Amino acid sequence: FRFKESLAEELQSADLVISHAGAGSCLETLEKGKPLIVVINDKLMDNHQLELAKQLHRDGYVLYCNCSTLVETLQSMDLSALKPFLPGQPEKFASFLDKVFGLQ
Amino acid sequence: TGGHTTEILRLLSCLSESYSPRHYVLADSDKMSEAKIRSFEQKRAETFSESQFSLDRIPRSREVRQSWISSVVTTLYSILYSIPLTYKRKPDLILCNGPGTCVPVCLSAFLLGLLRIKRTIIVYVESICRVETLSLSGKILYYFSDYFIVQWPDLKKKYPKSVYLGRIV
Repeated sequence: FRFKESLAEELQSADLVISHAGAGSCLETLEKGKPLIVVINDKLMDNHQLELAKQLHRDGYVLYCNCSTLVETLQSMDLSALKPFLPGQPEKFASFLDKVFGLQ
Repeated sequence: TGGHTTEILRLLSCLSESYSPRHYVLADSDKMSEAKIRSFEQKRAETFSESQFSLDRIPRSREVRQSWISSVVTTLYSILYSIPLTYKRKPDLILCNGPGTCVPVCLSAFLLGLLRIKRTIIVYVESICRVETLSLSGKILYYFSDYFIVQWPDLKKKYPKSVYLGRIV
């Protein structure tokens, strides 16, 4: 399928996710505790997607590769080495804004 | 668009009802965000019955991989389009996180502030995707925002006027 409103169902039943490096895809997958391989799209203008994938990889949360190295990555991956992902904290943002507007 | 919408809705998730009514501004070519926003607001209305929101659309400032020169023209057009919208809504707060759509809206609010018509607080949260470099919107709005929030320590080092709260989405 091309577009679906939510991939939550598919994510829930997956054992492994291979995805582009969009923040939503990565975060949704990591938050469901699924092992993730991120594939970078070489064609977008400044390829900033690479930054997040690299950082998540550096922190031990995901594996990453590009289209040409995907097969190799799948063959040599060790998913047990991936670290559990801690979710972000929007409450910190809410707290910050409340201070800005004197609402605390 | 897509990822930006998901991120901004997460940012909104812990806000109290003081941050109401909410006016969402979308690019005219954005097909997916409206559904996500309505779904978010619907859930919110279950807890906060007085919850109010609206949706406005403006011409998209820039397509992915659009050339620099034509981007300036399309952005100027979007700014002209945004001025009456910002004037109408006179927001106390503009919250944005990086899509091209936010630049004309913020610049129009900045302009209305200079003209002493309405002083809007502009809060920019750089996307979690941005670990080492700022987006183009970020580079521009670093100078026009009241609070510029980054989600990774490297950016805080490079942009000392920014605020670092850790990962917030």
